[in-house]
Amino acid sequence: MPKVTINDRTVEVAAGTNLVDAAIQAGVQIPHYCYHPRLSVVGQCRMCLVKIDGMPKLQAGCSTQVMKDGMVVRTDVPEVEEAQKGMMEFFLINHPLDCPICDQAGECGLQDYSFKHGVAYSRFQYEDKRTYPGRERIPLGGNVVLNMNRCIQCTRCVRFTQEVAGTGELGFFNRGARAEIGTFPGKELNNPLATCVVDICPVGALTSTRFRFAERVWYLDKKPSICTGCEVGCNITMEHRRGDIKRYKPRYNVEVNDYWMCDYGRSTHERYKKTPRLTTPRVRTEGGNGNGHTPFMASTWKDALDTLHGRLQAARGQGEIAFLGSAFLTCEEAYLFGKLADAAGSPHRSVPTDVGPAWTIPRFERPPIQGREQAPNRRGAELAGLAAGDGKTLTGEDLLQGDGAAQCEVLVVCDSDFGVGAYTPETVERLRRAKFLVVFGWADSPLAQVADIALPVSHHGEKDGTFVNVEWRVQRFERAFPPPGQTRAAVEALGDLLSRFDAAWAYQSPGKVFDRLAGELPAFAGLNWHDLPATGAALHVPGAVHSLSDQAAEAASEASS
Amino acid sequence: MAVFEPVLTRNVGRPEALTLKGYKQNGGYEGLAKALKMEPDAVIDEVKKSGLRGRGGAGFSAGLKWSFIPKGKDKPKYLVCNADESEPGTFKDRLLMEYDPHQLIEGCAICCWAVSAATCYIYIRGEYTKAAEILERALKDAYEGGILGDSVMGSGFKLNMYVHRGAGAYICGEETGMLESLEGKRGQPRVKPPFPAVVGAFGAPTVINNVETLANVPHIMVRGADWFKAIGTDERNTGPKLYAISGHVERPGTYEYPIGVTFREMLEGCGGMLKGRPLKAFIPGGASAPILKADQIDIKMDFDTVAKAGSMLGSAAVIVMDDTTCMVRSVSRLAKFFNHESCGQCTPCREGTNWLELMLKRIEHGEGTERDSQVLLSICSHIGGNSLCALGDAAIGPVQSLVKNFQEEIDQHIRDRACPFPHRRYFES
Repeated sequence: MPKVTINDRTVEVAAGTNLVDAAIQAGVQIPHYCYHPRLSVVGQCRMCLVKIDGMPKLQAGCSTQVMKDGMVVRTDVPEVEEAQKGMMEFFLINHPLDCPICDQAGECGLQDYSFKHGVAYSRFQYEDKRTYPGRERIPLGGNVVLNMNRCIQCTRCVRFTQEVAGTGELGFFNRGARAEIGTFPGKELNNPLATCVVDICPVGALTSTRFRFAERVWYLDKKPSICTGCEVGCNITMEHRRGDIKRYKPRYNVEVNDYWMCDYGRSTHERYKKTPRLTTPRVRTEGGNGNGHTPFMASTWKDALDTLHGRLQAARGQGEIAFLGSAFLTCEEAYLFGKLADAAGSPHRSVPTDVGPAWTIPRFERPPIQGREQAPNRRGAELAGLAAGDGKTLTGEDLLQGDGAAQCEVLVVCDSDFGVGAYTPETVERLRRAKFLVVFGWADSPLAQVADIALPVSHHGEKDGTFVNVEWRVQRFERAFPPPGQTRAAVEALGDLLSRFDAAWAYQSPGKVFDRLAGELPAFAGLNWHDLPATGAALHVPGAVHSLSDQAAEAASEASS
Repeated sequence: MAVFEPVLTRNVGRPEALTLKGYKQNGGYEGLAKALKMEPDAVIDEVKKSGLRGRGGAGFSAGLKWSFIPKGKDKPKYLVCNADESEPGTFKDRLLMEYDPHQLIEGCAICCWAVSAATCYIYIRGEYTKAAEILERALKDAYEGGILGDSVMGSGFKLNMYVHRGAGAYICGEETGMLESLEGKRGQPRVKPPFPAVVGAFGAPTVINNVETLANVPHIMVRGADWFKAIGTDERNTGPKLYAISGHVERPGTYEYPIGVTFREMLEGCGGMLKGRPLKAFIPGGASAPILKADQIDIKMDFDTVAKAGSMLGSAAVIVMDDTTCMVRSVSRLAKFFNHESCGQCTPCREGTNWLELMLKRIEHGEGTERDSQVLLSICSHIGGNSLCALGDAAIGPVQSLVKNFQEEIDQHIRDRACPFPHRRYFES
């Protein structure tokens, strides 16, 4: 591999690496706007100009590739700094400088580079700024708004729609200083990945209708998380202010979602605002008719779990006890829920899933990844101990579509937000046929309202855990903020409940459970919570397909046979 | 000066040269016939030896350019003839195409033979409707006469030639911008490297030559490189050259001279200054060449001498200005052109040319400030060498020369708070 020297730091890079990437490897930042690792190189922002020994002119770092040994590059010489100053001046003369009302302020490429490479005064004092009257707030599609005045014509968005989304709605129109971005006549930027153009826009020209004017970005707390929209498990950054999730942004993971995520995924945090929260454990008082018509009493966790423990003990031998899991549970929660079923001596456990439209994320040098199940962790939950039994047990289908609940002495649902079914009156009615209905959940959903015991557990922003995605990759995410009221993480609550059966289960944490589960389940062998890579790890599942292309081939051969 | 027998313009004034028969009467297609008997490499060597330099503006050795085309047959190769003549003041290629289309076709065919290209596109400026029609007719003639098609002049060499009409953008005269336009995309330059000789039209190796360059080739073939080398000032500046003279002269037009004729001779050749007024300044090579002052009147108009004088021969479009010309106004008009024609792709050119235009307009309107000249130069230095293609470098030429050569005129605008020249149209008495 050729060696390149950048600012006296020598680094070995793959032949064909461009200087911007090589510099990152050498620990040097070359400022750039139009260059993006997944988009074609156009070399037009001219911000990445560098001095290369033996070249008379400055060269664009993005379009210069390291092909052979001995290239000596400098970014800290006066001519480069002068050129960067010049470019920053050019960018800013026609930029509105409306940072105080701009959503991008705080994460803006112009602000950052202006601070680092620009000058603090303007020589553009007598001329009028170029503006695009009437093009200050153009909705390009349902989710993206364009303010042309702020645009620096880097054409990242245009190249994204052409090269990644493959839909090509955006174009570069007009010439020279009047050049502008827009949709082609009759087209709208409505592809499933549309909001990615907002992420890659280095300035505030493209803003997301979901996040527009919602929050100043410097007030946002950010935590690495996983999208729960579908089984792809896109890596995201959860950005919230004091527990109020403001937006999801894709987090780079070349194995899963690369730099992208879909618009549907970005909207999934809205569910946490749509349904009121359950914040207090509730137990229905004695003496009611048992049909959901007696008043609830606020309870304490201790009383509620004692009651539940008592019911589970009493029900043993009296009738069926069913455990309805959810594909939104983390592996650890599913594992403990499975253990709870074991402790209650029940074979009835299942993970209901909704299958919906396929969400597809294009990836670099890999086939696109596709998710059809509308929940993140069906695979993980089943692996961890919630797989339905041998056909004689009550399955999710029996409970949700059939009359299975009527046979149940006790039905435990964890969590209540297991899918669309949790909100339809028919399903709620079917589940309510159980003699005693226990619901764990973050939402005060219709199901929680008719339950005999409703226990508040945290949603995925409020807990640590792991999900297993469509390609059997286990990925960890972090708690972004504490749960409200008396809400507890499900791992904690289930551990507490299990300890009533066996004291050894007291004081559980996701890390502890994961390590235990990894020791027990062959699929997770060799993994441990602490060392789980940031990009996740592929599970050893017999017959598992880690790539969707293989899956498709398999499906095709099955269909033909 | 000894009488110079016209080479490129020998068929101007012979309307019969528009037909294949008429062109052949005057020795037409002999160069192609001769080339087809030679090895392609020998043709390239001959052109290299002749010292023919590109007539489009950059002045790069034509033979050398051809030799960069990789050998081998794994990819098709293309010749694109640059007939997108849009540099302000330039109208030499138009003459060649309108009066002698077969000369160009012959030149193209020889080049295609030399680099083994089976396809040639003549990318012609959209506004040149007449020239395009004449070329189309000549191509039809050539196909029918067996010059083009499956077997060029019976040699078995297959060659197709097409006229491709542009839609009117200066930037499509930049070679990679032209390729993009030819491929049906937005006409804007590509990043180089890779150069067109390796990855050009449709991803294949491509030679791009100006009309006048290719028109010279048949004559080199017929009369030999040594004859060609004998014309001109020295080893590096050889051959006949068309000069498009416009501005304040009695008889503007396209004139053919051996390269290296002095500006004074040229001026005399076109009847001297308009109404005998004194010369103030002249642009030697089209809008992008820095302006020279009247004291350079004896300059030899060849590539190297003009470059040494701080300007460039470019497309040899000579624009002559007399003492009634406001230099600030002229340069502001040029800046307006470059701003209008910048493709908007790269930052320095997009923003810089716009700023230059606004600033020069302001100075012209008497609203300049003391430090403007220095800011102008600073903007120029930020554009120069930093832009994606050569348009940025072209745009700053006139501005830099304005500040360098005509600083006192800028100062006068600033002092008087107005333009000292009466604003009248130049052809009024």
